[in-house]
Amino acid sequence: MEEKFDCIIVGGGIAGLSAAMTLAKANARFLLIERGEFCGAKNVSGGVLWGSDLARLVPEYWEEDGGFERFVSHRRLTFMDEQSAFSVDFKSDHFKETPYTGVTVLRAVFDEWLAGKVQEAIDASAHPDESFLATDILVEEVVQEDGRVTGIRAGDEVFHADCVIIAEGVNNLLTRQIELEKEYVPGDHVAVGVKEVLKLDEARLADRFQLNGRSGLTNEFVGACSEGVEGGGFLYTNKDSISLGLVLGMNDLRDKGKTPYDVLNSFKEHPVVADMIRDAETVEYSAHVVSTGDIKGMPSEIYADGVMIAGEAAHLLLNAGKAIQGMDYAMRSGILAAETVVEAKKANDFSSRMLGNYRKALESSYVLQDMKSFQQAVHLLHRQEMFSTVPNLICDFGRQFFTIDGKPTPKASAMMRAAIKRHASYWDLVKLGLKGAKAL
Amino acid sequence: MTVAERLGLVNYRNQGRSDARAHIEVDTDICNSSCPHKCTTRVCPAKCYTLDDQGNVHFQFEDCIECGTCLYACDQGAVTWRYPHPEEGRGVNWTLG
Repeated sequence: MEEKFDCIIVGGGIAGLSAAMTLAKANARFLLIERGEFCGAKNVSGGVLWGSDLARLVPEYWEEDGGFERFVSHRRLTFMDEQSAFSVDFKSDHFKETPYTGVTVLRAVFDEWLAGKVQEAIDASAHPDESFLATDILVEEVVQEDGRVTGIRAGDEVFHADCVIIAEGVNNLLTRQIELEKEYVPGDHVAVGVKEVLKLDEARLADRFQLNGRSGLTNEFVGACSEGVEGGGFLYTNKDSISLGLVLGMNDLRDKGKTPYDVLNSFKEHPVVADMIRDAETVEYSAHVVSTGDIKGMPSEIYADGVMIAGEAAHLLLNAGKAIQGMDYAMRSGILAAETVVEAKKANDFSSRMLGNYRKALESSYVLQDMKSFQQAVHLLHRQEMFSTVPNLICDFGRQFFTIDGKPTPKASAMMRAAIKRHASYWDLVKLGLKGAKAL
Repeated sequence: MTVAERLGLVNYRNQGRSDARAHIEVDTDICNSSCPHKCTTRVCPAKCYTLDDQGNVHFQFEDCIECGTCLYACDQGAVTWRYPHPEEGRGVNWTLG
């Protein structure tokens, strides 16, 4: 491997593999380097890949057994207090249409499958012997000459390329090394994600969650699940397991003196959750830092001479209350970075001026459009009221509304007034409501 | 479920190796002299940072699941974080992820 590649991709996660797939299809010569034993071995996520870009990379992927776990046909957002759960629930046959708009995944399984698809694309390309997916290799340094990135160093070996796509994930050490990110990034715009995968027999899982064939449920939780810490919980159905976890604001967790594993225990013991995971056996425990979607958390720039940053290394993520979107952003940014490589190769220009087209493409895509337009929602979701007052009030109202106890029943509006009185002031809620209406 | 029970489910690399190379170094002198919060002893999901009876911070990398929490949480400059070396280091090898 003496010759120079068109591109070196660091990281075999979704951003890196999506870039690789795009390059393979465009007959580019590239080297993808993954530090894990296989692509996916180091990767963790909550578990839903939203959007339909996967169908662009692997057409009709749903015809296969492998890869994803379930397609999302049933969505639920649950507000919790200590005893109750009040849910907004939506299930639709529309979600059965392909291409699906959301699939649950387990990353060690999914990424390895996607890497297999990339290898097939390499084999079918014009240069099957000149592009490589190399695993078990740690990139220690991004090599720069005269201020431009020219390759990478792994151990004693240096590999050269016209450009490098850094898709190293949220712990973006290489991005920091080339000074697109500060050497120390404080915990202001990140959260701690903890997750358990719980095994449950496929037939029981289908019965319990009313699943049909490969359909699946996603359930997000706010309120008592995080014990007052900024953040929320999630439950996703896989083929024969459940992904259950929490995303907890880093600084708030620190300031409240809680531990992520104890909060996870109490989430699992919540009566509503306990019913959902009964008899399911924990088979893996994992954790990972997650970006919160605050645009201020992004690196100072996502490209420079000879280099582009994709996926969560660029802190591309959004949680505006509708869904936690990170993997679809990784996928789209990987594709756009690779398309920029193809364009740059045609022009034989890998300068920052040319690679700036990557940022332009990302700016005009839904990724940065949505991150920008939903910043207010991101900030609103991080307000203390959203994980205490609001869910408590909603559950209190729910309890009154759904209780029939042989006494005269007040009108719903009176119940709501009483619930508000117990948990908040009208004025605060009006302010919050107005903010919410504007943000969403 | 305890942290130990949870970590018992984690598949680590080079598990048999007694001299694995540490990928995270912690200058616990900083933790134990000037840190006002010692937050890593609480936020680390794998409990790699512990407090002894005297309230001193201790760190071990063997149980680390490479989540990156301490890389962001330590604002005192005590944590030097690298990715584990594939052959000589420790770190995770997820089965499901």
